Amino acid sequence: APLAAQEVTLTMHQFLPPQANVPKLVLDVWADNVEKDSGGRIKVDRYPSMQLGGSPPELMDQAIDGVADIVWTVVGYTPGRYPSTEVFELPFMMTNARAASRAYWEMFETHMKDTEFKDVHILGTWVHGPGLIHANKEVRAPSDMEGLKIRGGSRLANALLSKVGATPVGMPVPAVPEGLSKGVIDGTTIPWEVTAALKIPELVTNHTEFTGNALYVLTFVLAMNKDRYEGLPDDLKKVIDDNSGLEFSVFAGGTQADSDGPAREAAVARGNNIVTLDEAETAEWKAVAQPIYDEWVAEMNEKGIDGQALIDEARMLIDKYTE
Amino acid sequence: MSRLELGFWSFAVLLGMIFLRAPIGLAMLLCGFGGWYYAMNGNPVPLLAKLKSETYTTFSSYSLSIIPMFLLMGQFATLSGLSSALFKAAESFLGHRRGGVAMAAVGACAGFGAICGSSLATAATMSRVALPELRRYGYSGGFSTATLAAGGTLGILIPPSVILVIYAIITEQNIAKLFLAAFIPGILAALGYMLTISVYVRLFPKSAGTRPPVPMADRWKALGATWPVLVIFAVVVGGIYLGWFTPTEGSAIGAMGTGLVALLSGSLNWPVFRDSLLGTARTTAMIFFIVLGAAFYNGFLALSGVPQFMADWVLTQGFSPWLVLSIILVFYLIFGCLMDSLSMILLTVPIFFPVISAMDFGMSPEHVAIWFGILVLIVVEVGLITPPVGMNLFIINAMDRETPMTETYKAVMFFVGSDILRVVILVMFPAITLFLLPG
Amino acid sequence: MHQAIRLLARATAVIGGLVLTGLVLLTTVSIIGRSANKWLHSDFAERTLGDLARTLIDSGIGEVNGNYELLEAGIAFAIFSFFPICQLSRAHATVDIFTSQLPGAANRALAAFWEVALTAALILISVQLFGGVQRYYGNGETTFFLQFPVWWAYSASFAASVVTCIVALWCAYLRVAESLTGRALMPQE
Ligand code: NA
Ligand code: NA
Repeated sequence: APLAAQEVTLTMHQFLPPQANVPKLVLDVWADNVEKDSGGRIKVDRYPSMQLGGSPPELMDQAIDGVADIVWTVVGYTPGRYPSTEVFELPFMMTNARAASRAYWEMFETHMKDTEFKDVHILGTWVHGPGLIHANKEVRAPSDMEGLKIRGGSRLANALLSKVGATPVGMPVPAVPEGLSKGVIDGTTIPWEVTAALKIPELVTNHTEFTGNALYVLTFVLAMNKDRYEGLPDDLKKVIDDNSGLEFSVFAGGTQADSDGPAREAAVARGNNIVTLDEAETAEWKAVAQPIYDEWVAEMNEKGIDGQALIDEARMLIDKYTE
Repeated sequence: MSRLELGFWSFAVLLGMIFLRAPIGLAMLLCGFGGWYYAMNGNPVPLLAKLKSETYTTFSSYSLSIIPMFLLMGQFATLSGLSSALFKAAESFLGHRRGGVAMAAVGACAGFGAICGSSLATAATMSRVALPELRRYGYSGGFSTATLAAGGTLGILIPPSVILVIYAIITEQNIAKLFLAAFIPGILAALGYMLTISVYVRLFPKSAGTRPPVPMADRWKALGATWPVLVIFAVVVGGIYLGWFTPTEGSAIGAMGTGLVALLSGSLNWPVFRDSLLGTARTTAMIFFIVLGAAFYNGFLALSGVPQFMADWVLTQGFSPWLVLSIILVFYLIFGCLMDSLSMILLTVPIFFPVISAMDFGMSPEHVAIWFGILVLIVVEVGLITPPVGMNLFIINAMDRETPMTETYKAVMFFVGSDILRVVILVMFPAITLFLLPG
Repeated sequence: MHQAIRLLARATAVIGGLVLTGLVLLTTVSIIGRSANKWLHSDFAERTLGDLARTLIDSGIGEVNGNYELLEAGIAFAIFSFFPICQLSRAHATVDIFTSQLPGAANRALAAFWEVALTAALILISVQLFGGVQRYYGNGETTFFLQFPVWWAYSASFAASVVTCIVALWCAYLRVAESLTGRALMPQE
């Protein structure tokens, strides 16, 4: 049978190379499903590694202005613009990426969709698996971090690093292996999943995990240009809708977290020193992190957002969905 | 018109504009604007939106900030008297040989290249020092200018190198490793030029005079005066490689170091300092305007799918990797006769690099990327001295109005020959380039 | 008039150059601070300096906080400030080979045409950069470490780009006048 005429070509722009986990296991899957479900009427052209130009912090605006039709981005690349999402980036909030991504989508729909994200059509919201510490020395107590230069993943992760006496260093993720091997940094905070591609277990041999809530996570969005979405014929809009939203968000967060396991095993196989702090030890860290909550709530209040209510709701939802 | 066709058409338009003497950055920028406009079916919003932030983010790049810093370093090195110290030292050792003063000029260029990131700056600086000396010892006009034009390319071939920084950023390679890989080919270039000089003076004995040797003690004294060059090169390139600091930090340290040497030499008064800032400003803006144009144009090219199409096409033809590499290098040599090196790198590497990295040369992808980078660096640098358009030739002829351009053209072909021979050797033996790299 | 424009372009470039020099100093200080901090944390420093090492660390010796961001904001401003002098000195790269055979009048016309096109492009860039200032003024985006508003950095660059437009307009005017009158009006830098 002749193929249905292709009607719509969507451009998808993001900052990672095509063979990285998220493009390969999440974004390509989404795009392939959309192409398949539309019977070939939608084609998704994929542009990895910022090929269409600009820097990663500009991705969100590229979706808003239609430079690209769809972008995948780290919300924290634009600090201050989407403050409510930061509730999930607070230290020791999440345990499980599926549960947190589900909570994130729910809170996105109730609190962020028509306010902070009103200029763009969001297709998915998720977080990665538990972020942990990888360092060139064993880290157990917060005081072990004293004087270490650590690449932090987000604004709030950096705040935590400062609280424990470490120096947060800003460098793009691809620069981390080089930084570690040359001693420009002493460690980094990333989830297990990312360690494989960066060869972290070969560069540092100490990894510190936490019991219960994870040290930190980043929040992601898959965003589409609003006019482009609304201009689609209803049946194609439905194809997009069916592949997006709550279920997709849980899939994305879960898939990303599922890659943690094999990466962790690789570190175990190398004989690396993996420290899992028990609840009492984790509590020590939580105590150090507590002022960050207070500061964050104060910041949110200044912006006219009830930060405490967001924290409470996120905690409640995360607990509810975490088995 | 499909986006792909649009992409191919944009080439023709771009070349047309460049050959009609449009500033190269402007030509790329306009093609980028036009491309985005038509690819978006006449909707100007995405293009205008890109312009709101992309000029700023292109210029506010941590990695590209190495360029103005290396340029400033070159300016300071010039006015601190390091360039004449280098020439004096090289001249005292080599000057009494046949063609020795010209060889000394090449040696001094190599030394200056170790603390200067730009070919044009090296050519201009060393001409100011060495041209009068060459003429004094009876070297013919064309031979002198050609020697300095060729020697100037050592400014880029020997690390640090602005072009390698750009290549590293486009291809996401490690700057320190590229610098390291450039080292042996750079030394080979200097030796090749010296060999060329000794052949040339045997073929044309009247083109060079001689002078008596300098006492040994004076030679060592002259060599001793060049120690700041050695120290700065070791700290900057060594420090970057050993990871004491990032390449950008290394460029800042280098600028700081040469600035201090200039300050201590007593030559750094306000008018001199101001002029070195102005010199840095002109070249920096010239480079970044091309970078900006290339950013817009390459974004559009990616959108059009041309690089992907080219890579797929080459792969399906079943050409051998070596044939493809040779064709690309010959392309660079031909276009190098017409265009400047930076524009060529920014314009073509995004297209050729995917082609090359998809092929199997029996090396790791990283080694292929580094090796290809060094080869491209050399062939675009040859472009600086190939007639008719060679920026180094222009600069030196502007400084030596007595020598007709045709004389320079004739003599420089010998150096071009030595360059081509070197490229062939480096293509055949990748190990020479990769020798210093770990693993 | 030309003297005033020349002074403006040179002054802007020198200001940008001083910012560049400042960034060189900032980066150097930051590296020294970082190395000193690392050393003070070493066992050797602890043995030899004792409590002094602690005191020095607490006094804030270390990498300059946010030096990366200051460099990025500063270098953008510096580069924007370098454009007017580049424009005035006609330092942009061109390929002359195909036009060198053309008669003088044709070359002057081409020069005028490209100068006008270049000026138009620079004005468009400047106007849209102002759009960038407005965008970031409105959306509250800050930098990662120092958390200063992004629009500050955009505004500084925009100011420099306004000077570029003024200089570019003057150069375009001279080139067009040269083309129409057939006389060289633009002094060589
Ligand atoms: Na160099
Ligand atoms: Na050439």
